[in-house]
Amino acid sequence: MDKKKDILWRMYILYLLVVIVGLAVVWKIFQIQFVEGDKWRTMADNMSQDTFLVKPTRGNILAKDTSYMAISVPVYDLRMDTKAEKLNTETWNKHIDSLSFCLANLFKDKTVGQYKSILQEGRKGKNQYLLIKRNVTRREVEMVRTFPMFRMGRYKGGLIEDEKYKRVKPYGNLAARTIGKESNENVQGLGIEQAYDEYLRGEEGLRLMEKLAGGMWRPVDHDNTIEPVDGFDIVTTIDPRLQEVATTELDRQLKMHGASHGCVIVMEVATGDISAIANLKRNEDGNYYESFNYAIGEATDPGSTFKLATAMALMDDGHVKPADLISTGDGSITYYGHTVHDSHKYGTISVQQAFELSSNVAFIKMALQHYGKNDESAQKFVDHLKKLHLHEKLNTGLPGEATPLVRNTTDSLWSGFSLPSMAFGYEVLITPLQIVTMYNAVANNGKMVKPRFVKEVRNRNQVIKTFEPVVIEEAVCKPTTVDALKRMMEGVVLRGTATNLKGSVYQIAGKTGTAQIANNGSGYGMNGKMTYRASFCGYFPADNPKYTCIVVVNAPSEGVYYGNVVAGPIFKAVSDKIYASSFDINQAFYKDEIAAVKTQTPPSKNGYTNDIKTILKKMNVPASGSSNSTFCKTARAEKQMNILDITFNKTQVPEVRGMGARDAVYILEQLGFQVILVGKGSVKQQSIAAGTSIGELNTITLLLAQ
Amino acid sequence: MTFIQKYMKGDRVIWIIAIIISVYSLLAVYSSAGQLAFRYKGGNTEYYLIQRFFMLAMGIALMFVAHRVKYTMFSKLSVIGLLIAIPLLLVTLIMGSNVNGASRWLAIPGVTSSFQTSDLAKIVLLIYVARTLAKKQEVIKDFKEGFLPLVIPVVLVCGLILPANFSTAALLFANCLVLMFIGRCSLKHISGLVGTAVSGFMLLILLSYAFPKLLPRLDTWKARIETFAGVKDKEAVVVEKTSTEALNEDYQVKYSKMAMAKGGLFGTGPANNLTKYSLPQSYSDFIFAMIIGEYGFILGGIVVILAYLILMYRAIRIAQKSEFAFATFLALGLCFSLVLQALVNMCVAVNILPVTGQPLPMVSMGGTSTLFTGLTLGIILSVSRTLIKNDESATAESDH
Repeated sequence: MDKKKDILWRMYILYLLVVIVGLAVVWKIFQIQFVEGDKWRTMADNMSQDTFLVKPTRGNILAKDTSYMAISVPVYDLRMDTKAEKLNTETWNKHIDSLSFCLANLFKDKTVGQYKSILQEGRKGKNQYLLIKRNVTRREVEMVRTFPMFRMGRYKGGLIEDEKYKRVKPYGNLAARTIGKESNENVQGLGIEQAYDEYLRGEEGLRLMEKLAGGMWRPVDHDNTIEPVDGFDIVTTIDPRLQEVATTELDRQLKMHGASHGCVIVMEVATGDISAIANLKRNEDGNYYESFNYAIGEATDPGSTFKLATAMALMDDGHVKPADLISTGDGSITYYGHTVHDSHKYGTISVQQAFELSSNVAFIKMALQHYGKNDESAQKFVDHLKKLHLHEKLNTGLPGEATPLVRNTTDSLWSGFSLPSMAFGYEVLITPLQIVTMYNAVANNGKMVKPRFVKEVRNRNQVIKTFEPVVIEEAVCKPTTVDALKRMMEGVVLRGTATNLKGSVYQIAGKTGTAQIANNGSGYGMNGKMTYRASFCGYFPADNPKYTCIVVVNAPSEGVYYGNVVAGPIFKAVSDKIYASSFDINQAFYKDEIAAVKTQTPPSKNGYTNDIKTILKKMNVPASGSSNSTFCKTARAEKQMNILDITFNKTQVPEVRGMGARDAVYILEQLGFQVILVGKGSVKQQSIAAGTSIGELNTITLLLAQ
Repeated sequence: MTFIQKYMKGDRVIWIIAIIISVYSLLAVYSSAGQLAFRYKGGNTEYYLIQRFFMLAMGIALMFVAHRVKYTMFSKLSVIGLLIAIPLLLVTLIMGSNVNGASRWLAIPGVTSSFQTSDLAKIVLLIYVARTLAKKQEVIKDFKEGFLPLVIPVVLVCGLILPANFSTAALLFANCLVLMFIGRCSLKHISGLVGTAVSGFMLLILLSYAFPKLLPRLDTWKARIETFAGVKDKEAVVVEKTSTEALNEDYQVKYSKMAMAKGGLFGTGPANNLTKYSLPQSYSDFIFAMIIGEYGFILGGIVVILAYLILMYRAIRIAQKSEFAFATFLALGLCFSLVLQALVNMCVAVNILPVTGQPLPMVSMGGTSTLFTGLTLGIILSVSRTLIKNDESATAESDH
């Protein structure tokens, strides 16, 4: 029991201590709440804290080759706290003149005197947020930071840099409308910027900040910060080289014909990738700008390019064959009081010829003969158009797709007028993008793929989402029909309305279109004059289609209005450029040369040994005499490449002839030379002969040639 | 009612306190998790409320299970537990996940939340000390026979916790010392141990200047103490990079006081104390300030303090009644560990002590802590259950 007692008194001491500490806590709370209470409460009430939005950096829009099509760059609004805490009058008076001079000299928008008076006024008015200049680049800011007074820092110098982001399109006008604009409070966004905004915009962060004496804000605690998440990059299918050609050529042709607007779409046959999309509209100043996406936003009567759909329907239903003959009479036909003319009198021609020569009469006659019996048979024709998905939007995801119109026979506005009009491309409203998608389906052997503008979403360099090509229709018609349509389109270029597009190296296949423009009910004609829409849609190379392209030029006003004359050359310029620069298309053409290279040892420059060995290995050229020096000389033998050592010493000018410019410059600069390059290619001559003692020499000129 | 009578045995007051504290925990976590919820779940405070509810339910379930176990079982378990806990502490120290520069957490495979090893070591060590004290009562004044077997595991465990978490190690050490004091250890021995420990720690600090990796958190400790003592003015602290944590702690104390002052006698009401958005760690280290702010001096402050004081009182009652030394030491040692932690947490919140990072048992958000608090209370109840049963059988015998 003694032990128990011993334990118990120790326990009571412990409990006493616990109670004392408990009371101490109570006392301290009492003190904080009631004795110092007012102080803490006032502090709490005056607590100047605020959460600030932290903006993420918007993702970039990249071209197919991952070059930048739209990026966010930081720009700054420069301001000045003219009453900065440690900016005294002495410093001010001492530096105000030189600061004004530097600002005027850098920005060149105001005189030294103007800058000085702005600054003086600001200080007089105790302006703590005086605007100096808006939208200053980073490089300029870095210079401004070195200016007198400003170089003393925020507190002594008063310079305030407000960073913000500006969206820049490095390719300027190229595909500008398709790349689009992000939306803001006032304006709805456009194009890819709007369509893929959810990926591009990133997530805003939040930061709790506390105001310090002097008006500066300090982040409070990492618990109260949500870091912003930067936006993802969007990789488009646009190929800047093709886009450049498309825009330039369209611009040239539009200017030449004084047209009001036009568009070009280049689509890859197999994937539906949009390699180029140009939209130009004449501005009041007479120049052309991307100001409306006609390619997807304007549904109009397509005119003769639509005959492809009519021909497809007629042949797929087995009504006609290319060789069938049809009489076009006197080159005109009248239905329901409306007369349609062909541009020439063709007499009796084959269906193939009717397509090649674009006979309106023949197409109207065929349509009426095979689908004109009653509504039921007419509906069969309409069903073909529906199978081509011409009656519905493509839903590419880009905003602003125009709603197309293809009437059903049950439509209240369907009339006897409808079928013959539709047969040659009227009384339907279709966008250029839909037409090119239809032609692409034929080029792609009947498989219709959806136009694809965006390939991937990337987080920095990591692909996080891929948009696969989408097949709209596995087969829009029978394979035999595809073949016949291809022959017809080839014929258009070989014998028909677009012989000016006939090529020597590769062939284009397609169809011209020349539609009369109906201006919203004001009839056919603008200011009393007839206006037209010239178009050409087709694919190339005809024997192995790789690209489909459509060119539409609106209201050519200088007399030439036929599709082949106005739209054709743009098409040809684009296709030539693509053809010339794409290896896989060219392979067939250059196959003899390629074969020759494979059996022969190719010529090689001298240069960096590792590079040369790598290249030779890649090209399956055997190399012998494996050089151990950093640089080497090459000598062609019949079946192999001999590699020879080159050694340099520091006192003599080296032999750089036969090397590429990069290697030569590297070697010479290592030796302390300043190198002047003339020409292009590999080094043919050097101004100081090899072996000359270097001594005081310091400049060498290299003559380069291919 | 019958369920409670049938199954919830032991000291009823302890049960009630456990429930009351849990309710406070729910209320406080709900309103103060504003920050966390804001950050991780897009402002969905309910998420944390539900999570907390389940955690508390698990804690109370564990308490229930533990109180059904005969308390002598824990004596044997503590030996095994110690053999597990010591290697675990070593592993945590070497490869535990690093939260704020302190490797205190061990990620358990298959379990999403990490596990604070020191919580396990703490309870195991206390039971072990109670066991050894009880066994060695006859020879307790003898250094070799009585004192040494007690001290070795204590120094080992505390030493292993120390590098990552000074305050937990120090508290556990103090806890063991108090238990030894109650267990009739020689005061000479105890003061000798304190002296050795202090000089050992000093030596460690000196060494860590030569080998900075030895005590990765030394800078934090230094800064904390300096901030508390007001050695450095704020601007000087801002300049020093290593002291940013200390700066935020200075800030924490300031906002803790503002939150309490705003509360007054009756509080601002749940979720109305706006300083919570700026009071860092208001869901954990500063939850007491939060509770006072929202529920006031009386309902928030006095009631919570009383709850822990009454808890301690109940443990003393159990100890008084108990016939067996082990039961006495077990109930007292475990209960004191909870109350000590609670008092330290409160002292930090009201700025009697520098910032330590000790949670308020059962109230603060935190999984491991809640579970082990439940277990601790369960063991205390198990002791009390046995006592009551003995009482009843004694009364029954005298009736005959």
